[in-house]
Amino acid sequence: MKTTRSTAPAPTTQDEYTVDVFTVVNGAPVQWRIDTRTTLLEALRDSSGLTGTKRGCDQGACGACTVHVDGARVLSCLMLAAQADGRQVTTVEGLVGEEGQLHPMQEAFVRHDAFQCGFCTPGQLMSAVCLLREGRAGSDAEIREYMSGNLCRCGAYDNIVAAVREAAGGGA
Amino acid sequence: MRAFVYDCPDAVDEAVASVAADPQAAFLAGGTTQLDLMKDGVWTPDRLVDISRLPLRGILVESQQLKVGALTTMEQLAAEPVVAQRLMFVREALLAGATVQLRNMATIGGNLLQRTRCRYFRDPTVSACNRRSPDSGCAAVDGVARMHAVLGVDERCIALHASDVAVPLLAVDSTVLVSGPTGQRRVPLSEFWVRADEGPSIENVLGHGDLITEIDVPLLPNGWRSGYLKVRDRASYEFALTSAAVALQMDGDMIADLRIALGGVGSVPWRAREAEEMLRGTHVDPVRFEQAGRAVMASAFTVPGTAFKVDLAVRTLSRQLLTMTEATP
Amino acid sequence: MTAIQSRPGAPWVGQGIDRVDGPHKVTGTAPYASDVTMAGMLHAVVVTSTIAAGTITKIDTSALLTLPGVRAVFTHENFPRLNTPPVIPFGDTPVAPLQDGRIAFHGQEIALVVADTPQQATEAARLVEVVYAPEPALLDPADGRPEPLSYLPDTHRGDTEAGWAIADVRVGASYRTAENTNNPLGLMGCVAAWDGDHLEMHDTTQWPIALRQTLAAVFGVPESGVRVHVPYLGGGFGAGLNQWAYKLLAAGAARALGRPVKLMLTRPQMFRLVGHRPDSEHQVRLGAARDGTLTMIEHRATSLSSLDHPAVGLLTAGTPQVYACPNVATVERTVRLNRRYPASMRAPGEAEGNWALETALDELAYELGMDPLELRLRNVSSVVHPPSGLPWSSNALVECCKVGAEVFGWSRRDPRPSSMREDGLLIGWGMAAAFYGAYLAMSRARVTVYADGTAAVRAAATDIGTGTYTVITQLAADLLGLSPHQVDFQLGDSDLPAAAQSGGSGLASSLSNAVIDAVTHLHGELLDLVGEGSPLYGLRPDDVVCRDGALCRRDDPATQESIADLLAGQGLLEASGDGRVRLPDPATAGMCHAGGFGARYVEVAIDPMIGRLRVRRVVSVTDAGRVLNPKLARSQILGATVGGIGMALFEETLTDPDTGRVANGTFGDYLLAVSADVPDVEVIFVGEPDRFTPAGTKGVGEIGLVGVPAAIGNAVFHATGRRLRSLPITVDQLVM
Repeated sequence: MKTTRSTAPAPTTQDEYTVDVFTVVNGAPVQWRIDTRTTLLEALRDSSGLTGTKRGCDQGACGACTVHVDGARVLSCLMLAAQADGRQVTTVEGLVGEEGQLHPMQEAFVRHDAFQCGFCTPGQLMSAVCLLREGRAGSDAEIREYMSGNLCRCGAYDNIVAAVREAAGGGA
Repeated sequence: MRAFVYDCPDAVDEAVASVAADPQAAFLAGGTTQLDLMKDGVWTPDRLVDISRLPLRGILVESQQLKVGALTTMEQLAAEPVVAQRLMFVREALLAGATVQLRNMATIGGNLLQRTRCRYFRDPTVSACNRRSPDSGCAAVDGVARMHAVLGVDERCIALHASDVAVPLLAVDSTVLVSGPTGQRRVPLSEFWVRADEGPSIENVLGHGDLITEIDVPLLPNGWRSGYLKVRDRASYEFALTSAAVALQMDGDMIADLRIALGGVGSVPWRAREAEEMLRGTHVDPVRFEQAGRAVMASAFTVPGTAFKVDLAVRTLSRQLLTMTEATP
Repeated sequence: MTAIQSRPGAPWVGQGIDRVDGPHKVTGTAPYASDVTMAGMLHAVVVTSTIAAGTITKIDTSALLTLPGVRAVFTHENFPRLNTPPVIPFGDTPVAPLQDGRIAFHGQEIALVVADTPQQATEAARLVEVVYAPEPALLDPADGRPEPLSYLPDTHRGDTEAGWAIADVRVGASYRTAENTNNPLGLMGCVAAWDGDHLEMHDTTQWPIALRQTLAAVFGVPESGVRVHVPYLGGGFGAGLNQWAYKLLAAGAARALGRPVKLMLTRPQMFRLVGHRPDSEHQVRLGAARDGTLTMIEHRATSLSSLDHPAVGLLTAGTPQVYACPNVATVERTVRLNRRYPASMRAPGEAEGNWALETALDELAYELGMDPLELRLRNVSSVVHPPSGLPWSSNALVECCKVGAEVFGWSRRDPRPSSMREDGLLIGWGMAAAFYGAYLAMSRARVTVYADGTAAVRAAATDIGTGTYTVITQLAADLLGLSPHQVDFQLGDSDLPAAAQSGGSGLASSLSNAVIDAVTHLHGELLDLVGEGSPLYGLRPDDVVCRDGALCRRDDPATQESIADLLAGQGLLEASGDGRVRLPDPATAGMCHAGGFGARYVEVAIDPMIGRLRVRRVVSVTDAGRVLNPKLARSQILGATVGGIGMALFEETLTDPDTGRVANGTFGDYLLAVSADVPDVEVIFVGEPDRFTPAGTKGVGEIGLVGVPAAIGNAVFHATGRRLRSLPITVDQLVM
């Protein structure tokens, strides 16, 4: 996918506390003209209306805001939107197929009741999808360790492990 | 968060010059500590120079050492095969040090520079903090202090340096390469941090505009084994209460040589040279292990909340020495 | 249950179908309050006090108004005057905010900054300068005065001193639990928008109707003009039961500015402004005959609360309920301090009280030289409710204990402390019994059938993750003879029929009762459409059922009329029935309405050298009456178990002794259990549908937490021989 790279900020067009960011979100090019303070989380939610990514602490300690940047899972609350310039961002909205079909991990989460209130779920899903890519679903203990950056106050951990295990091909 | 100008230079010299020229400017790398501090209002730069696109990412493997670009992420360093072969305790400390999301963002250079987790330091409405504002006092000494330091501290400041990976990096005598306004220099990690009891408001020897560009990490010689033990309440995703990085070479049942550093206890990552000297050339002896630990912790300064750490650190070290001396290389 | 099942797959109740709202949640499309935006919406940030007691003498905000984007700064000097909030049982509204300059706790709301963007508001809020006249704060519980709780009198049965005197074996000890903070992952907050006297609020409440009532009273507008939306919320665990000040701040600011206002709390503010489980201290004395028969139980307990807000209490409420002891006394007090407001948190009071009582029973078992399970079985009053003498409407506690023991392998336990070892680890097995009192509240519901054969259920309830959407859909599908996908359950809107709160584990029971009643009224509505020539003519509502889009004779389903035809005959497009909770009169029902029962079995492994504890196994057996959906009910028990592990081992909200400031109010410092802390939990349901409620349910949201801390602590004793009586149990207590 072609990406554009800006040299931010652009002082001639806006005041010096504004930055232009060009990025690709869920496969589509996006441009944000935003306050330099804006985090990637805020830009996704407030500028692009992608509210699936959640703010649970805004301090990098709960994982609810997990998204993929260039294929790696990161905390969008601890990343300036400007730092995503020229990068590929994927959010939970990007997991759904082009015809609206659920991602196998999303299906597994529903089947295993791997959530309750659903608030941490987008972050859990984004972590879980990466976890498989990282090759870290070899055992339940491994899944638990590498999913521990995503808090679930409803306590759905056992079901999340079951969903990840199934999506990893280990059966239900 | 205070408004700031955002700058994203392409070259190290440009970045250094940009920060050096503006007393209110600062570098921004992975952001995992910095953005948090900015949101808390503890750190309020007017200009952020984003170095995350500088060509300082990657690991060069040499015969005796690794040259680690300062922007290499924790996850990247942990994934380096040579680290698993020759610096196992670095790998273990990295994996125990943060979640995958944080490891994908946090850089090795930034990790060495992480600020204390002390909640009094991180809450600007608390006025007594010698680390934030010199001579204002220390609220933590009389406050809730469980995650605080007992070594290299006194009543002026008990801030903990909470890094895990810095502990084994210190144990193997790593050095950092610094680019600054006056050129390049090399600083051994053993001389890099400043203990809180030597001046609570100064954390390291970097001056304004100084940028860590590389960390040189000596490889353990063949035949050495190493490991990192982290004791914490949760099974994952928590800072250490105490930790021990141990590397050693056995000669039969004798410890031919060893390196020890402790985490979770010091205002800086803590090299345990007394313990190394007491144990080098001795036979495996749990009693001696404990004595070595006690010697390291003899200078501890404790408050009620941290008193348990003295004994726990001794136990943590003893356990890790037992594990390492029993292990097969 | 009155339904006749016809559709393939029926009955739906009792099946573990997937959550009906699941696809919305896994795609990020479920709308939470934090996701709401409106045209012209402003952003508000709360400023909080940095002292615990005193008054504000000066609060200078003029400079802030010159900052970019800042629209208003409200303080007690310029915030609209509010009417006194109404009293709502179990969900009290704290004192109206910004009405005077008085400070009652550290972290109290003292100003509100409103700006165009959240970044601007946040930065301006940081710059508010306040001058205080501090006063000595009452922070040390020892300086406070224990007060009785108006709604929880001391209880006595028999003569506890006599029971103590005749006991062959006696134990007595003090127990403590720490302050825990609910901390739902969803930050609480709202969007408030006015149109004249009409107020619309998107919020994170667990109780939309109470919020509507509060907002109308506080702002002096008709209840009919206040509408609260909460289709989804990011958990609550009790934090959403009260009508917290932030809601009034947002609504007041929105009214004053004539613009919609969004106010989301920060995570540190979640530790200060939306309640918590307060610290508690317990003194328990138990006496028993040599054979283990209890001769007395005495439970004295004290919790901490705030100056302006009463304690939640209920620490001792469960103590007289379970065991057939003739001599029982409970005494409960609260101490008011300059501290933030306590509120309900998952199994409020019972979680703490059970920890004390069930730990004391374990101590008694060791004093007796008796198996802890045996001690419970000897004393459980499984037929009669001890305080009232009435039969329980259901009680499978004995079965919980026995099934759990069997599955866990309890008989293989060597009772001697430190006797079970494995690879240098000390293994401990512990158990505890659990009880959670029944709770039902008035609810209404409306059931509507349409000409196209589909149906809707409507009630102003919430689904906080417990599965309300799903289980009521299942129930209605059975009652209407439809499939779940033909039934749309609409909730989370205060314009819908008033429903109970998601609280007290009572919503499913209350709502299902109302839905059953609504369907009966729907039958009446449909019968009203039947012509004289119809075979259904003249039947009563109880004589018919709905099935596959037809109204049928209950005793002869082949005799039926198409609902579509009945509607068309009168030119109607739909028919509805309104229902409400209808219960037997407790006074004449001849039974005691039972709550949930449970037994928890836990295995811990402890590395004594470094104090490392891991929970390796949990078997959790629960009698929750009828289980509407076993998949979702299991999730409730799993989640509550995780909460219990957190309460036992990690969670402790700490307060600076000198200032009253929350010392660890972040997720980096206040530890919730993470995935790696939790073993595979075995969840088992036993028991029968409860006789007291039409649906036979008893609630599953809270009972799963009760007993977990005590079972863990008892396992720690078994592993180490060390009796730890203060939660949380941490590394430093376990090094040996």
